Amino acid sequence: MSVATPPVQGAAIPSPFVAVVGYTLRACLPAKRWFGVLLPCVGALLFAWITQAVDSEDQVEAFAEISRQGLFGLILPLACLVIGDAVLGADARAGTFQLTWLSPVHFGTIAVGRWLGGWIVALVTVVPAFALGAVIAGMPEAVGPMALAAAGGSAAYIALFLLLGVLVKRSTVWSLAVVLVGERLVGGELSGIGQISPMWQAQQTFAGLWDEGGHYILRDGMPDSWAAIVRLAIVAVVCLAVANWRLARMRPLSGDD
Amino acid sequence: MSNPAVPLPSPPLPPPPPDQLDPAFVNDATVIASGVSIWFGHKVAVTELSCSFGPGVTGLLGPNGAGKTTFMRTICGLLPPNQGTIRVLGRDPRTDRAAQHDIALVPEDDAVPNALTARQLVRYTAALHRIADRNAPEQCLHGVGLLDVADRKVAGFSKGMRQRAKVAAALVTNPSVLVLDEPLNGADPVQRVALIELFQRLGSEGRTVIVSSHVLHEVERLATRQIVIIRGRLAAAGEHRAIRDSLADRPRSVLIRTPDPRRLAADLLALESVQGVTIDGAGLVVTSPRAGDLAEALPVVARKAGARLREVRPLDDSLESVFRELLR
Repeated sequence: MSVATPPVQGAAIPSPFVAVVGYTLRACLPAKRWFGVLLPCVGALLFAWITQAVDSEDQVEAFAEISRQGLFGLILPLACLVIGDAVLGADARAGTFQLTWLSPVHFGTIAVGRWLGGWIVALVTVVPAFALGAVIAGMPEAVGPMALAAAGGSAAYIALFLLLGVLVKRSTVWSLAVVLVGERLVGGELSGIGQISPMWQAQQTFAGLWDEGGHYILRDGMPDSWAAIVRLAIVAVVCLAVANWRLARMRPLSGDD
Repeated sequence: MSNPAVPLPSPPLPPPPPDQLDPAFVNDATVIASGVSIWFGHKVAVTELSCSFGPGVTGLLGPNGAGKTTFMRTICGLLPPNQGTIRVLGRDPRTDRAAQHDIALVPEDDAVPNALTARQLVRYTAALHRIADRNAPEQCLHGVGLLDVADRKVAGFSKGMRQRAKVAAALVTNPSVLVLDEPLNGADPVQRVALIELFQRLGSEGRTVIVSSHVLHEVERLATRQIVIIRGRLAAAGEHRAIRDSLADRPRSVLIRTPDPRRLAADLLALESVQGVTIDGAGLVVTSPRAGDLAEALPVVARKAGARLREVRPLDDSLESVFRELLR
């Protein structure tokens, strides 16, 4: 640089990967987004509280059903949609993604860095909320399975929504369609869809690992517990690989587009 | 059996040899566009554009919607050309990620990550480009006059400050090719002067600086060489004086304010360079096919007619009208 030296000494410059993760946490998830993530987390706690409030003979069965319908069927996809859309789709729509695209950084580094940034947010919001939900519901033995299922499910979901952010312009609408139509409606009937659905695989993880009440919601013909975790990891890796491929063919929008 | 004829894609046009250099090309080219066409659906943005850019500042001129931004985004690799090729230092900026080491873009649009501070923005760009010098972001912020407000969020910046933050983020990568899309938009007069000096200095250091603008006089101050694009086509190229000279005799309307417009009108109509005269209150609107001749003759005619000239002002001196004439 030819400009005069200023009196201030700057801090060390991080590696591109660390910078991408840091950018994701700072720029992609501003205060409004955090509010959007925390709202479903509060919803998770309320769902768990319903277990205590409902007049049911079998509290374990009630919590299992609430986990299936409320936590894994609604809260997990919604919270992850807010995060997953923020890490790339919203950035691309705003025209600010060109800042990252116009760099020599490998697209794989960008995809994984963005995903990791999003997953970190899920690990400090969604996962504790799900674990706390189990405590509130009076099922402390379900804390571990619930946390593991939420962590695995959010990893796969954020990768999926990141991929949709690269593939389509209206990524929020497509993400909702995938969850509501693809996973809930079609995936509920066709186990083939459920095999690759983060929603169903997260639920299977929980059901397989929760000895007391998992059998109430365990779905036949699909992997459960650790096998479901592996399935979630495969979904995340495949989504990130396709996102990496797609990023090279992407036409990043400008702010005027 | 003969093979069916297969249409071969036409090869990109090579730049002409130096001895017969077209003004659209330079000898020591770092950015070469060969037969570039870009379209979006049915809308053609750039049509068979061939030109090159070399070290120093080159102005990219054109009215709004001429295709400047699309062309600049293609130079940077953000858009693939539908036809033709772009090479930056011999590499394809779209497919060769290593080419991005040498390119920096300051986009025209206001899309800046609002949640970041100016320092975070510049440091992020530096990190992506693996800049090892930890002082480089500070130097760049200092260079654009933002060091004092470097820890303020970009969201709270004025348009001019945002523009300067983008310039700092581009400069921190130490680019060989700097693409600036309307970089002076929103800057106050003092900052304009400072930025123009900065860009000229970068050009004189041997960097290729491509600056777009639709404000003619601004680009004239910045760059000696200019490329003019109109409706996606190359309309003119070369030193700005040559382009201006070629425009001197274009038809134009001139407003002349004088206390006695009728007396001057009669004498002006006798000139060959005057096509028509309209009296409008205390002024005359003179239409001339050769504005250069009119400019020379007007003082003489006014002196003979004993008319005092209070104001002489071209009515259609906007760049758009200049460009329209170039397109004819």
